[in-house]
Amino acid sequence: MSLNIYGQNLDSRLLIGSALYPSPQVMKQAILASGSQVVTLSLKRQNPNEQSGQQIWHYLQEIVRQTNGHLLPNTAGCKTAKEAVTLAHMSREIFKTDWIKLEVIGDDYNLQPDPIELLHAAEQLIAEGFKVLPYCTDDLVICQRLYDLGCQVIMPWASPIGTGKGLMNPYNLETIRMRLPDATLILDAGIGKPSDACLAMEMGYDGVLLNSAVALADNPVLMAKAFGQALQAGEQGYVAGIMQERQTAHPSTPTLDTPFWHQNS
Amino acid sequence: MNIHINGKAYALGHENHISVSSALTLHFIEPQQSTFAVALNGDFVGKTDYDTTMVKNGDSLDVLQPIQGG
Repeated sequence: MSLNIYGQNLDSRLLIGSALYPSPQVMKQAILASGSQVVTLSLKRQNPNEQSGQQIWHYLQEIVRQTNGHLLPNTAGCKTAKEAVTLAHMSREIFKTDWIKLEVIGDDYNLQPDPIELLHAAEQLIAEGFKVLPYCTDDLVICQRLYDLGCQVIMPWASPIGTGKGLMNPYNLETIRMRLPDATLILDAGIGKPSDACLAMEMGYDGVLLNSAVALADNPVLMAKAFGQALQAGEQGYVAGIMQERQTAHPSTPTLDTPFWHQNS
Repeated sequence: MNIHINGKAYALGHENHISVSSALTLHFIEPQQSTFAVALNGDFVGKTDYDTTMVKNGDSLDVLQPIQGG
């Protein structure tokens, strides 16, 4: 089963970041090992004396070619709707994509999105033809408003960026899934372990976006592979239909004709 | 006039304004060799407008390039 992002069908449900790897070579190997077809990247002020930016850009272009994938530029660092809109335009020109991972940060301590500025930016960008993938908190009403504005993809956080704390509020995330059955929901940020990603998929999420959990692993390439498999396991578990939880124990082994002394009691 | 490009100050003598194209030559050795996008005072300037958009005294130009991101 494929992931659909604004009409594009993708084989993998994992979206992966390109930052924090020990080297560009490891970044490329890890992304390829993950099976992901969507790679996030960003923009920064250019230093003409520094060649590393161009080198990374060449690596990312090569990854996209090899995976038949897509670049997903973000608006990291923006604190207002205006900044995010400007950065989205700059990204569209450079990367030739109207996909934008919309980030508008409201608090420097936990990098929590500013929901008010996020909504303003999303509304403007959608009006200008962007395909907006907003990074937001696990607030149902904000997610609903983003969806109503025309965001086909909504990306609530699992926990603050880079913490690896996993799913802080499973109830909130399950409620968003239940209340927005037609939205493409991608769990973004705070994922630490493959089991976190698996849990999101078991909830019925459509995909997971992560970066630090792979890039900061002792072995990023192996961890990337583990995440790819965890997403597949979680998705198949969701589709297969998870049993209802029960309050009391029920024997798995048939009790009829139980051997030995139980027959006499 | 004085302008800033990526936070660096440039003093340009007695000129009243220069085009974005001209300003970029202060920043780059070979602009055509690089992948970048431009904002003037926080507003996006498309490549097709570099020759006709003017940079004036006190203006600030941001020249951005791709980097890794999450």
